[in-house]
Amino acid sequence: MSALADLSSVLGAWYDLRDLNNLQRLITEWIAEWGPDWIASIVTGVLGALAVLGVIGPTLLILIWTERKVIARFQQRYGPNRVGPKGLLQPVADAVKLILKEELAPRAADKLIFFLPPVLIFIPGILIWGVLPFGPQMSVADLNVGVLFLLAVSGTAVLVIFMAGWSSNNKYALFGAMRAVAMSISYEVPMVLALLTLVVFSGTMSINGIVQWQQQEDVIFILLFPLSAVAFFFAASAELNRTPADISEAESEIVAGYHTEYSGMRFGLFYAVELGNTLVVSAFIATFFLGGWWLWGLDQWVPSWMILLAKTGAVYFLLIWTRGTLPRLRIDQLMSFCWKALVPATLLFVVVAFVERTLILSEGWDTTFALPIMAVFNIALTLGAVMLFARVARPAPLRKPARIRLTSDGIGGLRAARELADRRDAPQIQVGGD
Amino acid sequence: MSDFGFHLAFWSLAAMTIGGASMIMISRNLIHAVIWLVISMLGIAGLYLTLSADFIAVVQVLIYVGAISVLMLFAIMLTPRAERDNSQTAVRTPAAIVVILVLISTMWVVVDTDWGPARDGALSEQARLIGESLIRHYILPFEIGAILLTAALVGAIALARQDDEDAAIHADSLQRELDGESDLDPADVVDPPLAADVEANS
Repeated sequence: MSALADLSSVLGAWYDLRDLNNLQRLITEWIAEWGPDWIASIVTGVLGALAVLGVIGPTLLILIWTERKVIARFQQRYGPNRVGPKGLLQPVADAVKLILKEELAPRAADKLIFFLPPVLIFIPGILIWGVLPFGPQMSVADLNVGVLFLLAVSGTAVLVIFMAGWSSNNKYALFGAMRAVAMSISYEVPMVLALLTLVVFSGTMSINGIVQWQQQEDVIFILLFPLSAVAFFFAASAELNRTPADISEAESEIVAGYHTEYSGMRFGLFYAVELGNTLVVSAFIATFFLGGWWLWGLDQWVPSWMILLAKTGAVYFLLIWTRGTLPRLRIDQLMSFCWKALVPATLLFVVVAFVERTLILSEGWDTTFALPIMAVFNIALTLGAVMLFARVARPAPLRKPARIRLTSDGIGGLRAARELADRRDAPQIQVGGD
Repeated sequence: MSDFGFHLAFWSLAAMTIGGASMIMISRNLIHAVIWLVISMLGIAGLYLTLSADFIAVVQVLIYVGAISVLMLFAIMLTPRAERDNSQTAVRTPAAIVVILVLISTMWVVVDTDWGPARDGALSEQARLIGESLIRHYILPFEIGAILLTAALVGAIALARQDDEDAAIHADSLQRELDGESDLDPADVVDPPLAADVEANS
């Protein structure tokens, strides 16, 4: 009994590390004693921003190393192992190299718009972190339209990518930008629908509210809506331009996509933001579908942000796994997969969520019994949908492209020249030697 | 929020909105104009935030900055001669007339409205309130909007669809391709012959 009393005196104190918000509240109260309230709001805002930057800055350096090392393991090679112990200082060396490199701008580039994107791309990348709940009260801004904020902010990144690709005045950069924009507006649809399932079912648009709903009902959303989780995972990895879906910077097709003309640290900034976005998307997948900072009561004993970081790491590993093992898809495959498979499937689950929510709210079904039944039903429906897609609705594989493409064997090379010569009935011209 | 902070936010956001809007008129490059439009939209979203309308602010960013502007960029990129000077347009006079009429009617509403401080203060749970009123009181306009959007979607698909004849030819060649008998002669595709080639060959 006394131990419990001791514990409760610790709870909520500034040194209670389970929720760093306690420390911040102490600072706010201390400022409120002597200063006007706007200083408190500015200080907490700056503290939140510094905390976010302080976490993701070093994390990015480690993540570069982790990702390269893990992918190397998947591809049966060593990965970076020269600079520092186990190659740990490789990201630092890379960063120094990128900073020292000369920064070039194409002469025909649109100068102002060319210089802006590496800076602007940071704004959505940092803002997204603001609504991520690290604990029950631990988020920079717990908006009650958090889900919409997430979608709005991530949608603006497309514009920056387009600016980068267009202003470079390079056809490959423009190709990459157009692909990025086309893919992004397509994959936003299943992403929104997958999130809509959760919003409908939990009845809140606050991200922390969704986590608290999962805590309250003792269930994680990936069990209730597995297909939405998978669709969100794939759509997010497409929005991130990661390898199964990185057609906007496919190096075997269009040099480096929208950042072809960016050299030195400008490219480094794009790269850093892409990695940071990967991390934050893993965190959001963990938050939406894996319960976020909550883990069946473990969050009472372990700091909740540590649980979130562990789940984030697990999702991040999954993202690296898909990147390391899956080949790149073609743009038409990606598009048709989005519109013909992901959108109908997620739409189906929005309807399912509506019906099940109505059963709970209006028909008064008890959630303790209803939720397991719904989970089993939804998992069965998911498996059925996937099997149906694999058996029936799957697009037939094309062994050869039906129309001759730009770089097919039909055009260019000796064969084309020879056939041109044949067609013009010019036997006296010998093209190439037979 | 202190009074000073609010005024600072309002005036800087208003400057951003109006400055962006004026730059749309001044800039002669269509892509630049779209980017200024985005800045103007962001300013409007910020103004919504100062009015504690966070739902509308976020939706403003989501729809106008994230979707409409991207759609505009797409339209510009797919339009031939989009690189031309922005001032060369045949509809300058009608456009000016329409804009002036819209401006006059907006100013009429501005002058006519009784601008006083809101009695109830900021609403919490705006998304829920807006959703409920859309479903209960304004269900008819809401459904009309939904039908309009669906019709637009179907219309866009109908416009972008291949002709039946075209599709049939394509499917036919696809089938033959799968059967292993190609009717597409690679030489047919190289057409017309390059002038330099003809010169070299003759």
